[in-house]
Amino acid sequence: MSKLLALALVLLCPAALVFPGIALSQSDPGVRPGPINGQNGATQGSPLPLPSVNSNNPAGILDFFDNGLGRFQEEESVSSGDDKGLGPRFNFNSCSGCHAQPAVGGSSPANNPQFQAITQGIASGSTNTLPSFITAHGPTLEARFPFFMNSNGTPNRNAPNGGVEAIFTVSGRADAGSCNLQQPDFRHAQQSNNIIFRIPTPVFGAGLIENIDDSTLLANQEAQAANNFGVGGAFNRNGNDGTIARFGWKAQNKSLLLFSGEAYNVEMGITSELFAQERPLPEEEQGSGLPANCLNLGGRGYPEDATNINVAANSDQAAQNAQVPADSVLFAEFMRLLAPPAPSTHVPGGQQSISNGFALFKAVGCSTCHTPAIKSTQPSNITASLGNATVRAFSDFEIHHMGSGLADNVSQGAAGGDQFRSAPLWGLGQRIFFLHDGRTTNLMTAITAHRSNGSEATQVAENFTSLSRGQQQDVLNFLRSL
Amino acid sequence: MSSGLSRRWALFAALVLVGARALGASASGPVPAGVILVKGAWSSAAGTATPLPEEGAVSNGQYGNAYFGLEYAFGADWTQRYEGPPPSEGGYYVLAQIEPRNAAQSFGQSHVLIAAQDLFFTLNPARDALELIHYYQEHLGAEYRVQRPPTKVRVANRDFVRFDYFSPAAGLQWHMLATEIRCHVVLFTFTGSDAQITRRLIDSMGAMPQAPRGAPVCIKDYVSAETITEREDPVLSAPHFNPVPVRIIIDAQGKVKQIHFLSAFPDQAKSIADALSQWQFKPLIVGGQPAEVETGLMFGRPPRPSASALH
Repeated sequence: MSKLLALALVLLCPAALVFPGIALSQSDPGVRPGPINGQNGATQGSPLPLPSVNSNNPAGILDFFDNGLGRFQEEESVSSGDDKGLGPRFNFNSCSGCHAQPAVGGSSPANNPQFQAITQGIASGSTNTLPSFITAHGPTLEARFPFFMNSNGTPNRNAPNGGVEAIFTVSGRADAGSCNLQQPDFRHAQQSNNIIFRIPTPVFGAGLIENIDDSTLLANQEAQAANNFGVGGAFNRNGNDGTIARFGWKAQNKSLLLFSGEAYNVEMGITSELFAQERPLPEEEQGSGLPANCLNLGGRGYPEDATNINVAANSDQAAQNAQVPADSVLFAEFMRLLAPPAPSTHVPGGQQSISNGFALFKAVGCSTCHTPAIKSTQPSNITASLGNATVRAFSDFEIHHMGSGLADNVSQGAAGGDQFRSAPLWGLGQRIFFLHDGRTTNLMTAITAHRSNGSEATQVAENFTSLSRGQQQDVLNFLRSL
Repeated sequence: MSSGLSRRWALFAALVLVGARALGASASGPVPAGVILVKGAWSSAAGTATPLPEEGAVSNGQYGNAYFGLEYAFGADWTQRYEGPPPSEGGYYVLAQIEPRNAAQSFGQSHVLIAAQDLFFTLNPARDALELIHYYQEHLGAEYRVQRPPTKVRVANRDFVRFDYFSPAAGLQWHMLATEIRCHVVLFTFTGSDAQITRRLIDSMGAMPQAPRGAPVCIKDYVSAETITEREDPVLSAPHFNPVPVRIIIDAQGKVKQIHFLSAFPDQAKSIADALSQWQFKPLIVGGQPAEVETGLMFGRPPRPSASALH
């Protein structure tokens, strides 16, 4: 028996090398090893800025990037120290805790920091319970209830909710005074299937996305309308001026500044010049809001994050300038100036496999929504690298119907419960969790989840499954090269 | 307005109001899994119930669509596993997605996409099936090779434009057959690596009848000062900034008989339906007799000028 097995291995292994199409099975190669974001010099704590920022053009901009990077990593407290304002409800106490993989600014890390929130005293165990969906090695999560609850605790399907239900409260912390809030009833929400999740979107290269003119996106939409894969698509438009919004899982945020201000408010409970009021839970907002003893816990009034008017004089003028903006402004600037991930030409699977995979990716129709390159950004008044650049984000920034299998029944702006932005794929090779809720770490699962009733991507997923295993492996290798 | 029609409008208004919320107003208990309950802009209809393009169905090895008058018998070995998305704001429909019943036949598997493009609302500049297929050809990526350029053919006793291309990398072929019905281009796309299966699927289109009898005359941009005698503009209160493509059927007396919203938020649909129910047209005369007419209107924002021209 062992001789037969050995013979089979001897015969099959070389054949699989010569004829990839008869490889035994296709599989996700996993997180790509090698330089972080494909960039030499990048580390987990120090992702690289855009080239022109790295060369400090214009003078002083590197200080803004570095200062923003620092603030992105600050751990906020409720009322002590310089970095205060956390809560009264929050999902975590820093941006970089969740935007961490493969570097600061990325997505969910392998070890979920929320799992340690109580043991590390970020949330008090006397008043907080770790929900069952927060696991040690699962994704960092934001929870939402699609529907408000009836008085008897059942979901009221006539009352769409969709707002964020922050996981932790500051209650019980030594620096939280007498504020006494309960966590949302996650257990009941799970029992009634009235809960959905979101993972952090990575923000590398986000400034390039922000700097695409609407006309460029509209022209791309028209060109892609001649697809033969059943794909439609629409844009999520800003409710005030009608222009194309582009950030967030449903493209619900117009700009990086709005994105950072909302996240500061929703994920960490910190008010800013963009969102100047504490945010109650959606259910609390329907009632009387937050109790008075949970307001102004930081003790310095609102907004908790504001422009720093009185910055100490510094002989380094650029460093002094970078201290002036509010956190939310510098978060946005940091994200805006982050370099996009660089793809690998040969890892995993070798150059030929990656090249084949890219050709197949286009042939079967993935590129209809995951547009490989959008040319070009508008001229930039911020830094040279943001202007007249090709955006290799692998997204059309449209929202598409993704069907009943991925629908989360949350509406944001013009996006309905089954519509999602084509997730930019740059940097995919070093991501751990996939899809809006991080439900899988396996690219094959993520791809096949694209087909379900009502999905625009069913035909493309069917085309993918029509490929041989070797061809599918090439596509997986290509995706992990990004 | 007849009392029957009034009741239909009232019923539609009630449905629209409910449609803004989730399906199953009286439902309680856990949220059902795998159901889209909260919808954005979606398709709907008001007025007299006549068939809609998206109402076709796959059953017992065939696809039937009363609006287009299609009956396509592809055989019991084939089925539709996943329904398509709602119509797009550009008037693109996924009518049916046919694949082998035995899902284990995955590698090299053939499948059929039946789609339609409304020529009133298309994002591209095509005016008919030939121009649309030429537009497809012109936007075909470098990863494909053309096997048969757009060619007029006769299939199933109907005029089609056929366009074949393939991907050397994927080993897949695409055979498109496009025909015009009621100011739409209906597209049959056969995808796969097995030419024999594809040929058999195309041959099975032989049983396809002609377009439905009694269908209204379809006329682009029919609504004008010359044809309309009374109109009430809809009051669109909330700016959604989305295009709202609407097909209407005007009866022989010049009243709006049916309204089909390809893509609209419920509040938009209600306001537009309320207004259109009051419109009065001069009857269209065909062969000396008043006739029904089908046309398109764009609400919400004006039709977008095409960024590129054909040829």
